Amino acid sequence: MSWDEFWIILVSCGATMLICRVAPLFLLKGRQLPERVILALNLIPPAAFAALVANDILSPGMFAQGIWPAGAIIVASLIVVIVAIKSRSLLWCAVAGVVSYAILLLF
Amino acid sequence: MITRAHLKDAFFAAVPIMLGYVAIGIPCGILCDSIGLNALQVLILSALFYSGAGQFMIPNMYLTGAPLASIIASVSLVNTRQMLYSASLAPECEGASKRLSFLFAATVTDESYGVSIERFKAGDWSVDRALFVNLFSQTSWALSNVAGVFVGSLVDIPLPIASFAMTSIFICLLFMQKLTAPNIIAAVSAIIGVYVCKLLGLAGAAIIIGALIGVAFAFAYCMVVQRRKGAR
Repeated sequence: MSWDEFWIILVSCGATMLICRVAPLFLLKGRQLPERVILALNLIPPAAFAALVANDILSPGMFAQGIWPAGAIIVASLIVVIVAIKSRSLLWCAVAGVVSYAILLLF
Repeated sequence: MITRAHLKDAFFAAVPIMLGYVAIGIPCGILCDSIGLNALQVLILSALFYSGAGQFMIPNMYLTGAPLASIIASVSLVNTRQMLYSASLAPECEGASKRLSFLFAATVTDESYGVSIERFKAGDWSVDRALFVNLFSQTSWALSNVAGVFVGSLVDIPLPIASFAMTSIFICLLFMQKLTAPNIIAAVSAIIGVYVCKLLGLAGAAIIIGALIGVAFAFAYCMVVQRRKGAR
């Protein structure tokens, strides 16, 4: 990739990213928000985390090559769920997830 | 005010993210090196663009010979989900200065959003701590990317396993949510939404559309419950 191509990508992607990151916050900040808007905003975390997880572990046709090794990511996820409920620690979840996924992929 | 104690709080909150970013930052740097980006370019990209998903997509699409315009459009589409985080953080930035709010908002990622929104909801958090969670995470991301450029293909980190560290963090954040009916509806319909998006070939926008579907369904549920209560 040349420097010219690099600058085009950096400026374009950087600009859209900055707008997405900053604009909604400044549009809402400093206003008296109606109760319904607050309710909707409070629903963003559970919806967003669920969407991020689903995006990482689910895809149509994931079991086309058989139930394993595709099933390993599901089993590893269930192990992380147990660790999450027991420990409520992001660090332990990350460690448990990587270790169990790596081990499960050996089978 | 930024104090030593706040920096310490932020650092400990950021540790899981920082370690995860080392695990995926190095492979990202290796990938960037493979399309001829040098350490300085990778550093600039991490400092001014700072997007895990985006910094993987750019070299991957470039390798397939995609035109710049389509790389920019795809990367921008994937990153529209940041708008949801930004909106959700607005009430927490009430009372914070414009400059602090801007720096904070401009450096939010999926992971640092998750960590800070949980702390804000718990009530023992502040925008300056949240900004430093972002900056510690970004430093780890940038240095790992640069390290990836230098080690090149000397090390082989299996990316699916490394990136599962991020998935695990999201699973933990999801299961730290309160088990209320609206939250469960939001999560389940978001998961279905993501899957349907992928079925329809809308993988690039699956996260934001799925999340919006989750918010919409749970919101509709709350409205119905409210109306029933009012009618009684």
